Amino acid sequence: MDNIVNDFTLNIATANGTGSQSANLILLDSLFEMGVPVSGKNLFPSNISGLPTWYILRLSEKGYQAPGDRTHIQILVNPATWEEDIEALEPGSVIIWNSDTKKKTVEREDIISYPVPMTSMARKINPKLAKLVTNIIYVGVVAELLGIDQKCLENAVSKQFKGKSSAIELNIEALQTGRDYCTENLEKKDPYIVEKRERRTKQFFIEGNEAVALGSIYGGCQMLAWYPITPSSSVAEGIIAYIPRLRTDEDGKTNLAVIQAEDELAAAGMVLGAGWAGGRGMTATSGPGISLMQEFIGLAYFAEVPSVFWDVNRVGPSTGLPTRTQQSDISMLYEGSHGDTQHIVLIPGTVEECFEFGWVAFDCAERFQTPIFGLSDLDLGMNKWACSGFEYPDKPMDRGKVVREKEVFEAFETFGRYLDIDGDGIPYRTLPGSGMDPILYRGTGHNPMGVYSEKPDDYRNLMVRLREKIDNSRDLLPEPLMREEEDSDIGIIYLGSMENSIQEIDDILLEMGHHVNQCRVRALPFHSDVEEFIRRHKTTIVLEINRDGQLYGILRRELPNDIVTNVHSVAYSDGLPPRARIYANLISEKLKEVNE
Amino acid sequence: MSERKRERAVKLNVINQPKDSYTGGPSSLCPGCGHDQISNVIITAAWENGVEPHRIAKMSGIGCSSKTPAYYLGQSHGFNTVHGRMPSVTTGAYAINKDLLYLGVSGDGDSASIGIGQLIHAIRRNMNMVYIVENNGVYGLTKGQYSATADVGSKKRKGATNEIQPIDLCALAINLGCTFVARSFSGSRRQLTSIIRAGMSHKGFALIDVISPCVTFNNNDESMKSYGYVKDNEVTLHMADYIPHFDPMEEVEVPEGHFRDITLHDGSTIRLETISEEHDPSDSMAALTALHDAETNRKHVTGLLYFNSEKPSLDEDLDLVDTPLLDLDDSEIRPSKESLDALNAEFLS
Repeated sequence: MDNIVNDFTLNIATANGTGSQSANLILLDSLFEMGVPVSGKNLFPSNISGLPTWYILRLSEKGYQAPGDRTHIQILVNPATWEEDIEALEPGSVIIWNSDTKKKTVEREDIISYPVPMTSMARKINPKLAKLVTNIIYVGVVAELLGIDQKCLENAVSKQFKGKSSAIELNIEALQTGRDYCTENLEKKDPYIVEKRERRTKQFFIEGNEAVALGSIYGGCQMLAWYPITPSSSVAEGIIAYIPRLRTDEDGKTNLAVIQAEDELAAAGMVLGAGWAGGRGMTATSGPGISLMQEFIGLAYFAEVPSVFWDVNRVGPSTGLPTRTQQSDISMLYEGSHGDTQHIVLIPGTVEECFEFGWVAFDCAERFQTPIFGLSDLDLGMNKWACSGFEYPDKPMDRGKVVREKEVFEAFETFGRYLDIDGDGIPYRTLPGSGMDPILYRGTGHNPMGVYSEKPDDYRNLMVRLREKIDNSRDLLPEPLMREEEDSDIGIIYLGSMENSIQEIDDILLEMGHHVNQCRVRALPFHSDVEEFIRRHKTTIVLEINRDGQLYGILRRELPNDIVTNVHSVAYSDGLPPRARIYANLISEKLKEVNE
Repeated sequence: MSERKRERAVKLNVINQPKDSYTGGPSSLCPGCGHDQISNVIITAAWENGVEPHRIAKMSGIGCSSKTPAYYLGQSHGFNTVHGRMPSVTTGAYAINKDLLYLGVSGDGDSASIGIGQLIHAIRRNMNMVYIVENNGVYGLTKGQYSATADVGSKKRKGATNEIQPIDLCALAINLGCTFVARSFSGSRRQLTSIIRAGMSHKGFALIDVISPCVTFNNNDESMKSYGYVKDNEVTLHMADYIPHFDPMEEVEVPEGHFRDITLHDGSTIRLETISEEHDPSDSMAALTALHDAETNRKHVTGLLYFNSEKPSLDEDLDLVDTPLLDLDDSEIRPSKESLDALNAEFLS
């Protein structure tokens, strides 16, 4: 039997709230430290304690980060999902199971079974913390079976428990118990092992939300207003956690105000207030929060108030699947609020971009005097991704057209808050307290001087200018990233966290005989390069994680008629992070359909 | 003769500003509207207090009351926001520029219905602002529906009598620990001026509920918020007379009788003339009792009902640097490259 090295998937089935997350992160971190290409996905319920949770560890020499097609090694600790987890396994799979689980056993003959009395071993170590220790025992067993380096494992434990010696000792003991049980009682019958690898560049793991938090701090965020909602809360909590270190003076006073609002409506109002006053304000929320903020989004657009909204997309509609991932808020963000609106949306696909767009968002908000959306999702935001480091902003802050000095103000021949002096659709603004050109900001119709008006020409001119302003932004926003080979006439347009599955999709398509080129959209409105990409290809597929093909819908509406029919939609969502094969199959079917 | 006339015309306040510096555009409200009287009082109060007009921020929501910021303080920036959400916009602006005087004007639809949550939470945070409710018990702009402050038994010109218990915003505010709670009447120019001036000097949330009759939709005699009713049934709990610390000469206007001085955060003093001698504005239970008694007897109790200068206001709670965040240099709000290099190094270790 040949060994299978660094190329398989582990699935760990536990219950929420039992401490299994720590155990799983220890596995992930120790593999990562060995240089094994690995990614981890937490499939967790909307629940504090008791409901089933799965953690998927994908080891892939090719660097694939999506969950694989199948599970190779199943760890079974949760009786609630016992039967279905066993049934899902393909013949030849491995199962490591807690043999102390009451009334549960593993009867399949076609799989490799490693029973481990996890609970009784855990009780011997610490009866009070048996549930917690059980998780570390399976880590020990897995470590021994796969050949995980002990030093890397111990480092991961120490990192997880932040140097707390009693916790570290307990966990090291449990790990050893697992390892010892394995050497004494189990004979290795499976081919799966891990080997150390040298990484070309040093990397670390970080969640997208923490990267957005840091990016926002380096963007000069001055006010964060937020209301807790999964999966965005860790953006706000990340900012709060870094304030003492990065935004506090020697007297312990901060220059970044954090206000936990009473609801998302208030959070949005605070962001507008901050922008109106001349500061950099932001909020972080998810789809349901954006739904509640719609009224203020329209006001920010119409009264031209710089404001930043991060949406960490979860599964909708309504409460939906609050702890699952989706790319389904695209249309809502792009055309948020009633009336004719259009908004700038920044769409990171990597943790590096989460950081970058974190600060870019503020520059865009002040440059274009409009709400800016950051669109992330649960998969990118709440899972850990490899990162080589964050790059410091490569330009000074863009504070936009703000008149701060009287001399500058007086140099204008005529001044009006909404007067398009430069002809780029972006007017100049003065700030409250400055004494310059005081106006009453309003959500009602207004003329270029900022005075209430219901005149048809005033309204029409204002709406046309607003459209031009956003339209002019398209080539100044993050440009799409392309991977192209000259011999291919099929293009794939995709966005956001799909970045982490696209290479595997591409490889599967290649096996099927399809050479495809890729274009990752990183902002709305679409960069003009997107149209060029479509023109270079006979057929373009728009790939996204939702039901209706929202990005496709926007593209289809905005493309010139002559190329609209060359563009097709592949949209699929079941709540889970995208599995490459599902999307590759759907693309292949779509291509067949197009060619018929 | 003509010289003396000019002298009168250019009467200046302590910062050498004529009253004209505090006026706004012409009102588009119904002639005789109580709200216009309040606008005039706001102009007088700001002028008499000697606030720099451009250092005031006029905040409002949606409704007749919320249109009024266009009619006063033309040199101040303002934000006519969305219905009931003025407190949150003010909170965000305050975080960025805590040195402005935030003057909010709202109505009973704005404050007692759609925006009651935001009002409650602004009070809870002790946001540093003056919050005037121009309370008429009716939705004017949408042509006369009852609001949540409409009295039981009040009757619309057409249609049914209101049978639902009204919300008393002053009682609500006192229960929430609001640090300055007053009630007045749009026709009581002198009392209202004193209260608004005191509210402007207060550090914390000053709720001023002003009964402001709607001449068009809620001026039936059955309504407790009609002109005729209020004039006949108003109980004055306190006469408040305001004495700015920079001009003690104004003390000459203090009327005779029992009084008590309360020192405000800016060092200025508010003097309360006690009509109901047993009322102590630091006693929230007494204030609630006064409100309850007035309600039981279908009367309005006016004056400064409750006052507390001890509670920290929002800026202390946020622990912000002394300089308003607006005035910080870009280099102060973007951490250094070295700090990011250090973070990257730690992540990689």
